[in-house]
Amino acid sequence: MKTKVLMAILAVVIAGLIAVPWIASYFYVFIFTEILILGLFAASFNLIFGYTGMLSFGHAAFFGIGSYATALVLIHLEWPFLACLLVSMGASALLALVIGFLSVRLNEVYFAMLTLAFGMMVFAIAYQWRSVTNGSDGLAGFTLGSFGLGLDLTLANPSVYYHVVLAIVAIASVVLYVICRSSFGMILKAIRQNPERVSFAGLNVRTYRLVAFVIAGTFAGLAGGLIAPFLRVASPELLHWSMSAEPILMAILGGTGFFLGPFIGSAAFVLLETWITTYTESWMLVLGIILAMMVIFFRKGLLGTAIDWWMEVKK
Amino acid sequence: MKKTNIKNLLVAMTATATLGTASVSYAEDPIRIGGLYILSGSAATYGEFAQKGIDLAVDEINGSGGILGRQVEMVYEDSQGKASVAIQAARKLVYSEGVDALVGLDSSGVAQGMVPTMPEVQKPLIITHAATPDVTGNLCNPFTYRISVNVAQNMKAAALVAADTGATNWTTIGPDYAFGHQSWEFFGNYLKELKPDVNLMSETNFPRFGAEDFTPFIDRVMDSDAEGVLISVWGGDLVNFIRQANTRGFFEKDMEVMFTVGAATEVLSALGEEMPEGVHLSTRYWYEAYDNAVNDRFVKAYLKAYGTPPSYNAEGAYAAIYAYKKAMETAGTTEGPAVAKALSGMSLEAPNGTVTFREGDHQAMVSPNWGVSGPMHPEHGIRTLTNLQIFDGEKVARTIEETGCKL
Repeated sequence: MKTKVLMAILAVVIAGLIAVPWIASYFYVFIFTEILILGLFAASFNLIFGYTGMLSFGHAAFFGIGSYATALVLIHLEWPFLACLLVSMGASALLALVIGFLSVRLNEVYFAMLTLAFGMMVFAIAYQWRSVTNGSDGLAGFTLGSFGLGLDLTLANPSVYYHVVLAIVAIASVVLYVICRSSFGMILKAIRQNPERVSFAGLNVRTYRLVAFVIAGTFAGLAGGLIAPFLRVASPELLHWSMSAEPILMAILGGTGFFLGPFIGSAAFVLLETWITTYTESWMLVLGIILAMMVIFFRKGLLGTAIDWWMEVKK
Repeated sequence: MKKTNIKNLLVAMTATATLGTASVSYAEDPIRIGGLYILSGSAATYGEFAQKGIDLAVDEINGSGGILGRQVEMVYEDSQGKASVAIQAARKLVYSEGVDALVGLDSSGVAQGMVPTMPEVQKPLIITHAATPDVTGNLCNPFTYRISVNVAQNMKAAALVAADTGATNWTTIGPDYAFGHQSWEFFGNYLKELKPDVNLMSETNFPRFGAEDFTPFIDRVMDSDAEGVLISVWGGDLVNFIRQANTRGFFEKDMEVMFTVGAATEVLSALGEEMPEGVHLSTRYWYEAYDNAVNDRFVKAYLKAYGTPPSYNAEGAYAAIYAYKKAMETAGTTEGPAVAKALSGMSLEAPNGTVTFREGDHQAMVSPNWGVSGPMHPEHGIRTLTNLQIFDGEKVARTIEETGCKL
């Protein structure tokens, strides 16, 4: 019964998302595009954070590499959009393999510090390699060509781009969800709860952590590939450690224990930012207060708290 | 009706009570102009000065009947000096706040990212500060205009000043982004043309924008055999730079020092007597350089309202609002494409004389001002400019062919 109601709610939300360009004011097309892309970024992060229990401070490296890859391919090769996204995913997977190989052997604060260091190294390269990355200004001025697969889509139209993002994020989320629910996902959860026990069961914990890290990096790269054409610029800020903090905040805000938590967190984050900056420049202060309240009083995040409340009421 | 639905949905989704109000404009509503400036961080004083200039223009216009009989209202967003932030903020201003036109942009990097998106939002943009030649060059488009001096114009003037000095070996210290690199590139090319025997040193210095510590770069230039140095550091960075250079004895060295935006009154006010005498300072507008009725009125009103002399950023922003007034009245409408079209080739009386937006690239033909820092001003608390040179805006501008702009 409850599952049915939850499915119905999900269906309504998806229908609502599809209808955004027709029912909302035009500006919200941009807002929801951003929510979906950052939601995918946060969901990819939650695979290693919420599921596997690894707190990475360098996840923006993969997001940023994805955005630069798409921008570079659009500028120099003018490939179709889908091909750009594949390049983004390939580039970030490769980077995640290298950084992951060196990082997953360590735990907790050492892992966090190492990923932070690698993230900032990638940032420094993008910032200083002016001839390729255009330094601190980033890459801009690229035009969107065709979509690929012979589909005739005007990607420069924000509503069309929104629907493309919605479709890609939906497919990517289903794939991520299947991974989370598979036996592989179960082992990740077990690693979070008790890594020693998992290794005593004969499983190579480090390999599982590395594979999770690479999958998370690949999907972050996909999100990065989607953000560059949306922002019309791939800039070093997308690689900065403060960008790595965003999926952490979103996952905590929405709820790390639920697959859709990071998406809810992304929605809350982007919408609050949009509304609060209309009234004050110091939106980070407000965000800080909200986050502190969440962590102190609602440990399960917005989605977790809402579901708990609903379960309580409908008993 | 439609809007109510989505708002209900959003309220339910996020459980927040407050909502930003999206507005729809009606004829009797005020004309809204969106301002995009750096309002936080080390260059925030530039955004502040621009706002002061704009407020003055808006008050004057509203006091004398507004534009097309409608009042003018400003909406500001913080660009944070980042292109991605500025592009989102511009979309917010256009689609959510319903602005009719845009002014602003301090950073060249932001301008390079944002300008290509202007045809999408179908609103005119008048750049009042960012100086990269690209936005009125290879990135130009029918909606983008610039009322302030660009790097190409200012560096042509700088090369003329530099060619008059005895210095042969030249280097640069500039912020590590488009502005710093392009300043050096254009300066070098023009100077080489004027004086083929100059030596442009391969050792250049590009500290990060917002860097706190400039001493390694200061020391490096002092240790080199540079006889002239072009410094394009600006804003809060320039204030820090000059203080650190003073303690190192940088200005005592026998060297031609040229600050490409050193006579910004934001910087001069912050430094007071710490700004050394005898260095070359440039600005896009010097408040004492222009003897005309518009400038008299502007400077008097600005001093009265804020107690400091206006900067070039304040002047550019002030003039941009008047440019929109004239363009909207010429077009008889506030429709974006019509206003953008009316701006092309239009002239207006601004504090720095008659300003014309050139048809071929939409760059205003405005004059770079160069001078040498002199004694303190008795009332304004800043250095004066001596040996003031006002270069003809048209003569120092690139030709349309050189800009690479095709409109």
